[in-house]
Amino acid sequence: MQRKRQALILLCLCVLGLAPGCWDSRELNELAITVGLGLDKSGDNVKVTTQIVNPGEVASKQGNQGNRMPFTTISSTEQTVIEALRKQTIILPRAVFTSHLRILVIGEELARDGILKVMDGLSRNREMRSDFYIIVARDAEAEDILATLTPMERISAYKMFKTLEMSAEEWAPTVDVEMDQLLHDLANPLKDTVLAGMVIEGNKEVGSEAHNLDRSKPFTSLVFSGLALFRDDKLVDWLNSQESKGYNYIMNNVDTTAGHLACPDGDGFIAMEVTHAKSSINGSVDQEGEPFIDLSFQLEENVGEAQCEMDLSDTASLERLERVATRQLEEIVRQTIAKAQRNKADIFGFGERIEDAAPREWLRLKDDWRERFAKLKVNIEVDLKVRRIGTTINPLSDRKE
Amino acid sequence: MGMLTKLLRSWVARSTPAPSKPSEDDRARPISGRLGQDFAVIKQAFGGSVDVAGVEISLDPQGRQKIGLAYIQGLVNSAAVQDLTKESLILRASDFGDALIQSSSIAEKEALLRNLIAPIGSIARVGTIDEVLAAMLSGFAVILAEGLPCGFSTDTRKDSDRTVEEPATQSVVRGPREGFTESLETNVSLVRKRIRSPQLWLETSRIGRATQTEVGLMYLKGTADEAVIEEARRRLARIDIDGILESSYIEELIQDETATLFPTMYNTERPDVTAAGLLEGRIAIVVDGTPFVLLAPALFIQFYQSAEDYYQRFEFATLIRLLRYVCFFITLLAPALYIAITTFHQELLPSPLLFNLAAQREGIPFPAFVEALIMEVTFEILREAGVRLPKTVGQAVSIVGALVIGQSAVEAGLVSPGMVIVVAITAISNFVIPSFNMGISIRILRFVLMVIAAIFGLFGVTMGLVAIVQHLCTLRSFGVPYMSPMAPYNNADQKDTILRLPQWAMFARPRHLTRNRIRQRDARAAGPRHKD
Repeated sequence: MQRKRQALILLCLCVLGLAPGCWDSRELNELAITVGLGLDKSGDNVKVTTQIVNPGEVASKQGNQGNRMPFTTISSTEQTVIEALRKQTIILPRAVFTSHLRILVIGEELARDGILKVMDGLSRNREMRSDFYIIVARDAEAEDILATLTPMERISAYKMFKTLEMSAEEWAPTVDVEMDQLLHDLANPLKDTVLAGMVIEGNKEVGSEAHNLDRSKPFTSLVFSGLALFRDDKLVDWLNSQESKGYNYIMNNVDTTAGHLACPDGDGFIAMEVTHAKSSINGSVDQEGEPFIDLSFQLEENVGEAQCEMDLSDTASLERLERVATRQLEEIVRQTIAKAQRNKADIFGFGERIEDAAPREWLRLKDDWRERFAKLKVNIEVDLKVRRIGTTINPLSDRKE
Repeated sequence: MGMLTKLLRSWVARSTPAPSKPSEDDRARPISGRLGQDFAVIKQAFGGSVDVAGVEISLDPQGRQKIGLAYIQGLVNSAAVQDLTKESLILRASDFGDALIQSSSIAEKEALLRNLIAPIGSIARVGTIDEVLAAMLSGFAVILAEGLPCGFSTDTRKDSDRTVEEPATQSVVRGPREGFTESLETNVSLVRKRIRSPQLWLETSRIGRATQTEVGLMYLKGTADEAVIEEARRRLARIDIDGILESSYIEELIQDETATLFPTMYNTERPDVTAAGLLEGRIAIVVDGTPFVLLAPALFIQFYQSAEDYYQRFEFATLIRLLRYVCFFITLLAPALYIAITTFHQELLPSPLLFNLAAQREGIPFPAFVEALIMEVTFEILREAGVRLPKTVGQAVSIVGALVIGQSAVEAGLVSPGMVIVVAITAISNFVIPSFNMGISIRILRFVLMVIAAIFGLFGVTMGLVAIVQHLCTLRSFGVPYMSPMAPYNNADQKDTILRLPQWAMFARPRHLTRNRIRQRDARAAGPRHKD
């Protein structure tokens, strides 16, 4: 009896070793490491483009760097995204591995059509992390963007990822939206969203050829330009660079940036570096039951470049600068809000603020919120200080005399 | 593990022949008192070996009283035997000699002979032939007298011991350079030199039917736990084996748990480590013929501590200890984690690292597990060869090893450079573990974890670690939990576990080892006087 039981336990252990086997083990050289994913509309189907790293070309090891490309782009078309991804194995010798995805590019046509359907497969996929950025190919197909070769960062998905990260930090007019934030916004029926747009500058055919990089100034480059404004899951409009900046000011996304003002006297411009920016959005409902938004900004700026004639050693002129800068900020913000209101897309989440402030009223307001948003009253209050003027005092043009 | 032990035991029981009954010859034979006959019996007992010498000396011209000297040539110091013969010449002329000749009663004869040879020193009475044989085998000369049914053994042992040298294992930068030798006496004296206390007790016994190896049980009376001493005594007494050639024989025979990879007794070549162990309340088992002394009870953490921890400043010692624990995890887990992450959990790697590793793996014909196995086995081969080969050839092996493991295997496309780094760091980390036998345990477990990692990934590695911890927690060394003072947790003993606090903060002995815990009464007393 005892021996029988021992034998049984041993047998179980052996089977345990064999049964799960190594069913999901994959060696590193069996993976097609996908860093960029593109979605385009192709008739009724979706065209999925993957940007796959050629590790041998990218690794730090010297030598054996032939004329091969740092990455390969492959497209396949199917009814669903997941099918298309798996279908790529008819071209590739390896399975698509998406855990290291850095960027998801959505073609403009598909974006105008609505992205809700295609996002489902990606959010369901257990292999994918949710920390990649999502951008929209402006006037272009995602496939062409992913195929373009870029200097410095040899893998273009990385180039886009890092450029977006950098520019969101140093230059206000872009947004870095990650997968989970987008899904969150899409799931909220009253909040709309924006995504960074990317254009191909130059000839898109040349961009994917090796000689694109044979010149110190590439023939074709990838450049971020404006923000795609979504109503629900559909692209409806583009914010230009001023409006994009306005959007970021409102959303408290700006840490540092730079902007210019027209000189108070005479022509020329004066560049202001924003060193600190903070915004707060407060929603409320007035006596008549009308909702309104209070926006307040706190900014600190430095004089970065002065091309005009003015005496910067005088505090009075700095105060003038502050007034001009305040006026300009108000204008940018108004312009941005106006565009969003025109498109009836609450990209700022004003609705949520009003719900926070007046949950009871909100029950009444939310049914026709889009219409109300278009007419929403927004009060703007700006507290702007010019702190420093840099390592010199008066403009160079002044000192000529 | 319990099941494994049972299996082992049942297998042993089946394959062991029933012990034969002791033959007539094994029983104690008396000394007849007739020299000629006794010598004949002795010679016969050794099968007529030529190195057995029996000398008869007559004390008077008539040959009325003869005394005999029996010894084994080569085991005795010939100068000492010569001295003995000279003594007997003096005896011829002395009154003692006459008295011996004239005395008639056996008791009187014995007393006379004892008085006579007392100045020689270290005399012991032997009553049976077997005792005579045992004494002779230890290098003693046995003095017999005609008409006396007993004899006396005197110490004529040859001092063939090697001198005290620096120990080859467990070397330190700062600390004593003395190491144990193969002689029990020297080893005991080396410890006594460090603990000059009458409380240091030594009990010796002979173990091994054929080898009659002297085994000493040493402890600090009043500090060591009486229960542990009693247990050790009992276990030593139960040993019934033909020979003990090294302390490992004892270790394997008396350890608590046989079916474990982990050592539950500590061995050391260093008298200072032994002394420290005794002072903490451990017992030491000294075996004649080997420089390795056993210490028990042994705890898991003990194997990660070095004598040097106490000879360097405590901050440094603590950092080095932490480093050792890190190395423990590296040497146990590095190849397993590498396999698990590169074959199951590629998403855990930073992307640039993934690209690099993937690029290295291009063109490697084996799966990561096989690759790791090849490298690990190659390394183990080289290491084993390095240990066995003569020192002069050893260098050649290390050159070949460096080339084979490093450059060539990569260039030949057998393994990836990343794997070489993993194996190298694993190997180096293993050498950081101060105790060689713990290092072996980890080496074996590393292979087990590699297999698990190749099948189940990180999940399997985690389960493997859980199993190891569970096993460790079931172990005991002479009744003391192996993982103490971590499991069961004991706050006071943390002072010398992962950390090594300064000496003034360590005023109590480990709780699990002794009840007599006071080490320093006033920890601050030795410091500078504080102004009141």
